[in-house]
Amino acid sequence: MWGSRYRSARAGLEQMLRVVRRVAGMPDYAAHVEHLARCHPDRKVPSPKEFFQEYVRARYGAGPTRCC
Amino acid sequence: MLRQLLWLLVALAGAAGWGVLALHRGETISAAWLVLAAVGTYFIGFRFYSRFLADRVLGVNDRRATPAERLANGRDFVPTSRWVLFGHHFAAIAGPGPLVGPVLAAQFGYLPGTIWIVVGVVLAGAVQDFVILFASMRRDGKSLGQMAKEETGPVTGILTMVAVLAIMVILLAVLALVVVNALADSPWGVFTILCTVPIAVLMGFWMKAWRPGRTLEATAVGVVLLLLALVGGRYVAASPLLAPVFTWSALTLAYAVIAYGFVASVLPVWMLLCPRDYLSTFMKIGTILLLALGILLVLPPLRLPALTPFIDGTGPVFAGKLFPFAFITIACGAISGFHALVASGTTPKMLVRESDARLIGYGGMLMESFVAVMALCAAALLDPGIYFAINAPLASLGGTPETAAAVIRGWGFTVTPAQITALAADVGEKTLLGRTGGAPSLAVGMAHILSGAFGRGLMALWYHFAIMFEALFILTTLDTGTRVGRFMVQELAGHVWAPLGRTSWYPSTILTSVLVVGAWGWFLVQGVGDPLGGINSLWPLFGISNQLLAAIALCVGTTILIKAGKARYAWVTLAPLAWVLVVTLTAGWQKVFAADPRLGFLAHAALTAGQVAAGSLDPARGARLVFNDRLDAALALGFMAVTVLVVLASARVWALVLTRRRPAALKESPFVETAYVG
Repeated sequence: MWGSRYRSARAGLEQMLRVVRRVAGMPDYAAHVEHLARCHPDRKVPSPKEFFQEYVRARYGAGPTRCC
Repeated sequence: MLRQLLWLLVALAGAAGWGVLALHRGETISAAWLVLAAVGTYFIGFRFYSRFLADRVLGVNDRRATPAERLANGRDFVPTSRWVLFGHHFAAIAGPGPLVGPVLAAQFGYLPGTIWIVVGVVLAGAVQDFVILFASMRRDGKSLGQMAKEETGPVTGILTMVAVLAIMVILLAVLALVVVNALADSPWGVFTILCTVPIAVLMGFWMKAWRPGRTLEATAVGVVLLLLALVGGRYVAASPLLAPVFTWSALTLAYAVIAYGFVASVLPVWMLLCPRDYLSTFMKIGTILLLALGILLVLPPLRLPALTPFIDGTGPVFAGKLFPFAFITIACGAISGFHALVASGTTPKMLVRESDARLIGYGGMLMESFVAVMALCAAALLDPGIYFAINAPLASLGGTPETAAAVIRGWGFTVTPAQITALAADVGEKTLLGRTGGAPSLAVGMAHILSGAFGRGLMALWYHFAIMFEALFILTTLDTGTRVGRFMVQELAGHVWAPLGRTSWYPSTILTSVLVVGAWGWFLVQGVGDPLGGINSLWPLFGISNQLLAAIALCVGTTILIKAGKARYAWVTLAPLAWVLVVTLTAGWQKVFAADPRLGFLAHAALTAGQVAAGSLDPARGARLVFNDRLDAALALGFMAVTVLVVLASARVWALVLTRRRPAALKESPFVETAYVG
């Protein structure tokens, strides 16, 4: 019984952290892996490091991201 | 029935707030009324006007698949639930603008600022954000410049891009000046802000090398270290050994900020920029929530009068009459052209449904407006005498609390030298006199609220917390802005000589970074040496340029409405466009040609030339001042010319489409039915 509670609390926390990451515009590695598995099963899954690098490049590549 | 009753109640609450604001003159009222008036108006505007815009004017269609759905790639095109995206969009649009502008405009009293912030956002600012977000969403997330090019013409596209670049330079200069004025001769502040650089680098290595992808973990560590640096600053300021090391003059600070901007622009983003961005996002959202809670808990009385005598243009904070300068000084919070860049950047690529654009575009801007209202409350709760002691330039106050108190009494506000000295001691500074730029007085106001709500006796800590919060995200705007400016220059220069356009080629990166940093650095150094305090000339230039960008965005919005066959509703963008044009062109004209040397750049140049001729001013310094005045004048005229050209080019397209000489063809992406159910 405690095991399942622990698991659901953990899942809830995980979900909350995911929302926080999204709001701050932080990369969400797990979501990207899920997306790849769902939509592009043929592509190679990047390592967390590769994913972070690619994300930073895409986000700060061009265009203003912040305002006055 | 119940719902109608509820809306009636909201309307009555808002009306009560406005009623109290309107009827109580010469008495102190509670900030609660101001908040009530604002929030009531926001709810009514959102419920009725934004729904009218969505259903009738724009024709939002939830059966149409959004770019996030059609082009999902898990990176920039990511379907994001609307409240999450609301937070994300808000964090991107709300910067130092809505905090600083209302504080400066408080020299007219709290009423003009309140009316403009609340009415302006509902009828102009939120409309602009919503329309541009919607237009970009219908075009796969294209930028404002691209939309201007496709819908109006190539010349308009290039003009828009040049305008954006010029505005960025002025924005960065004025924001840097705000930080410099807040940190000059303040070892506590300088120490805390210096600490943010190694903290960010540590976070960068953490996220990239040690524990890749653990962004939240690294940020949590960063926030804790930042708070430690804040507390540590007190000991640095008290230490006879360390305090002199961190006591920097305004000019030294200016060069340090310029060097920082350059380094941030050439270093890899993961090392400095990206971690700082996260740090500042969390501090921003956290502090704004804290401030909102503080205001609700304390409900401070507003000591500033509703209107001050300075509406006639004689105010010490900046020159110019209520009309048009109240509407220039408060740009962000009422209407901000800069938002059109964010609304046509990352956000449109993340919307799940078309109807979400209403909450995020219109609602997000209402939220920023509320930040501006809170900043206004924080300034208006100060004693007017204290407000002017902090915000008037040192040149007009004289150097000591005694002279300052005498000057301020001459303006009709009571303040004693002891009050000025006591306040500075309370917040842990040697002096607060003449700290222009808005940030310090906002910090004092915030410290009053926060120490009132969450712990008395911590005034100095809260003050430096507020300064750190402002400086942190101003510097974050500065480093991302410099980098974006560098990319834009590289793109433009790439047309002249192709290798310059390669963003990964180091010589090009260094050269273009020097160009961008040099451009805003020039205005920053000019501002630091300005005898009128710098803010007096630079903030209006920023306000004018930001509002003129809004005019360009509203032109693009009008073109899109007319081409979509919605000409009968074109007033929703045309009316704010007309207002913004009248205000900014008047203000721009006055800043250039007014005969008063405090107001007009050319008159000030003539005055300076006269002083040199009379021998009362060093010729070299005089020549520099004259050059800077003429440069500012040319810039203001340039902004005005670009805007008028864009308006004329757009008006031509409107006429052609309306008289059917040009087909009303929109460049929208084709309709695809959504796969989402329900």
